[in-house]
Amino acid sequence: MKPGIRGFWTASSIQRLPSDDALIEKKPYRLLKYVPSWFFAVAAPVFSVALLVALGASLSLATSGTRCSEECLHLTRAHWQEAETTRFSPAPVSLDSRSLPDAWHDTALPLAIPAQATPGANADAGRITWVRLPVSGHPSAAKSLALYGVRLKTDGPIDIYVNGKLVYRAQQQGQQWSSLFTPLWVSLEQGTGDAPVREILIRLEHTQQYPVAVSSLWLGQADALRSRYEIRQWLQRGLPGMLNAAFLAVGIFGLFVWFRRRHEPGYLLFFNLSVIAFVAHLHYYVDLPIANDWLGWLVLNSLCWLLTVTHFFLRHLHGRPLRWLSRGMVAATLLIGVATAPLPWALPNTQFVLAVVYAIELLMALVVSVLGGVCSWRSSREGRLVVVGIAICVLLGASDWMMHNNVVSIEGWFLGAYTNGVAFIFFGLLMYRRYVGAIEEVERVNASLAERLRAREAELEQSHQRLREIEQRQLLSDERQRLMQDMHDGLGSTLISAIRSVEQGRMRDTEVSQILKDCMDDLKLAIDSMEPVEADLLLLLATLRFRLEPRMEGADVALTWDVRELPALDWLDPSSALNILRIVQESVANILRHTRATVIRMATDVEGSGVQVVIEDNGQGFDVATAFARGNGRGLRNQQRRAQAIGGSVAWVSGETGTRFTLWLPRQRAAPAA
Amino acid sequence: MELPATGQQLPLIHVAIVEDDLGFRQALTDAIEGTQDIRLAGIAGTRAEGLNLLHEAPTDVLLVDLGLPDGSGIDVIKAAVQQWPSCSIMVATNFGDETHVIRSIEAGASGYLLKDSTPARIVDEIRSVASGGSPISPIIARQVLARFRQIKTRGPAQSTTPDETAQLLSGREKEVLELITKGFTANEIAKLMSLSPFTVRSFVRRIYTKLNVTSKAEAIYEARNQGILDG
Repeated sequence: MKPGIRGFWTASSIQRLPSDDALIEKKPYRLLKYVPSWFFAVAAPVFSVALLVALGASLSLATSGTRCSEECLHLTRAHWQEAETTRFSPAPVSLDSRSLPDAWHDTALPLAIPAQATPGANADAGRITWVRLPVSGHPSAAKSLALYGVRLKTDGPIDIYVNGKLVYRAQQQGQQWSSLFTPLWVSLEQGTGDAPVREILIRLEHTQQYPVAVSSLWLGQADALRSRYEIRQWLQRGLPGMLNAAFLAVGIFGLFVWFRRRHEPGYLLFFNLSVIAFVAHLHYYVDLPIANDWLGWLVLNSLCWLLTVTHFFLRHLHGRPLRWLSRGMVAATLLIGVATAPLPWALPNTQFVLAVVYAIELLMALVVSVLGGVCSWRSSREGRLVVVGIAICVLLGASDWMMHNNVVSIEGWFLGAYTNGVAFIFFGLLMYRRYVGAIEEVERVNASLAERLRAREAELEQSHQRLREIEQRQLLSDERQRLMQDMHDGLGSTLISAIRSVEQGRMRDTEVSQILKDCMDDLKLAIDSMEPVEADLLLLLATLRFRLEPRMEGADVALTWDVRELPALDWLDPSSALNILRIVQESVANILRHTRATVIRMATDVEGSGVQVVIEDNGQGFDVATAFARGNGRGLRNQQRRAQAIGGSVAWVSGETGTRFTLWLPRQRAAPAA
Repeated sequence: MELPATGQQLPLIHVAIVEDDLGFRQALTDAIEGTQDIRLAGIAGTRAEGLNLLHEAPTDVLLVDLGLPDGSGIDVIKAAVQQWPSCSIMVATNFGDETHVIRSIEAGASGYLLKDSTPARIVDEIRSVASGGSPISPIIARQVLARFRQIKTRGPAQSTTPDETAQLLSGREKEVLELITKGFTANEIAKLMSLSPFTVRSFVRRIYTKLNVTSKAEAIYEARNQGILDG
């Protein structure tokens, strides 16, 4: 096991496991008690998806319900002409198109006029593009009319005349940040007496190189056209704005993650990325005029910074240094930053320069995504995910660039607004993977912890088992040893001496018979000691009496059985029982052998912290000290030794009228030595 | 003990023995020889011979050794209970140890005889058991008490016939057993309880019979529990 693993084995972590289980078990009670969990698993997503589908359906219904029929007019043909002007000249309140030069070009809408710089023209000089749309066959409109178009593209003021009367002005202070993404909507307040719309004249002022464009227009009832306008507005500005804010929120989340995990710069880079992306896409949603050149510079350059940070983020993911690319990216970013800064020495802020810079940025984006993809394809799944996201963003950006420069139809969508949405989705995917991965990791760790716990428990159980087995074997071995000892000292030696005596012919048959009977008694005692006496000393003594009875009868000695109930002796195991049996048997045998007693009294009693067995006889006494000293004192010494072995003691009081033998035994006994 | 002076006063006791130990068979024969009232009516050396013996006329006392060369004496005891219902069965044992004796009593034996008993003792035991008494040792008394205590806590088993109902000890029977576990002899107990020594020994016989019936009832109860018998 790893050294760190010991930390897992704290009491709290072990205790927490079962409580987690309890939590899981409790969950159904907290939720609706009688609804099965699979119901939620099916019902929740079905409900959510159904809700979204219903929303979409009702939206499209609302759109189709107000679809323009004959009441709307799609204006797809126009006449246009261009004229030089001093920059941003004021437009008159009313204007008759017949007063303009008769240099009209006939064209279909959408109209995109390529940027054409007139050589030698004054840089300050602007141009006016006139677009005239004749309207015919429009139904007399009693209700309020509206004019709707996907966009009018110019960097100067916009004025629209209906029947020669000015009805709409915009961008009088210069181009608005969001003008490219905002559809045109003009409400035509018409009095009942007014004539039907005959002509729409659009005046677009712009700088020389600006690629002006006019989409086709719709004329019709305001109610019928409004949903088109709203949907366009929402998809081109509202939704991307929401996604942009969401991406920024995710970035801030990343920042807070970084606060706790300073050693992981990826989170900080990610925050950086989201902030720059937010700034870089601000022009899609903000309705301010581009009054300050620095703001334009910011929008232009933030894209560069975005790419550089993205590169560093990718580098962090795939772990390859790519030094030359990093240097190149930083250098290009700095160069563009300096070159486009609105300072005296910098490049003029012309459409051409803008187009070139955006082209360079697109190239950088391609390089970053391709190289990042190559580097992280093998090593990092996250890197791969990010690269796919960047690639999509680059494609979206490329389409934006083409729209800007009138390469594709200007009635299309500015998809660059969605790059943040894409980024949000891909980084969200990244977070989702990390989040789910973290949860799974925790679960896996918990599971392996539980597994280790189980293994440990099994191990413990096994070692307990082994201990028990060892204990059992020890017990058996002790018991065997005890029996062997007893056989050896008692039965064995008696039999050996008997055999020897018989062989030497020194023994009469009765003597041999007596010795064998003694052996039999020994054996019976050994067997009795193994009977289940259940801590009952009295039962043990009763058993002994039962055994000795035939001999007492033979010896013609009366036995007075004067016993009293005794407390249980919990330590009374077979080994101790045999010692007690031998001590008492020896006493009785001594009386029968050596004294001429006619009465033996056996009594039991509680004495102090133990119990005592008293054996009295009325035979002639003996001198205890002399008996111990003499050679035949072996029996007494044996009794003493056996009593000590079981924590008890023996005592003799002997006199003319008899002997009193006392065996004292403790009621409690310390654990016997093995 | 005191031998009857004349054999006519005493009823004749027929004894049969199932025992492979020739020494004990001889000791028994020798012990009986000196009496007027005991006669050896049958000898078997194996379990099979013992079971065959039971087809003949029943004897008053049957001595059975448990360790027979071809099987357990318990089978012979069980068969004898069925075929010689009036016969008193004794198990011949070396030590009178609890495991052997209790098993025999549960199988239907009425007593036991230690093989190293003196001839006088052998004759005494045979006469005692033939007249309806039974010997008992303190350890066996304790075990019997424990057995009945078990039955009591479990509740008497329900049986089909009243004969097989597990029976409980009477107060006096219990008292006898308890005194025996304390080491008192039959004679002392008789004095303590104001009974005759013979009554004490017949109490023991009754206890053994109850144990036998109870163990049979228990066997049926167990069998029914395990689904061996139905009803």
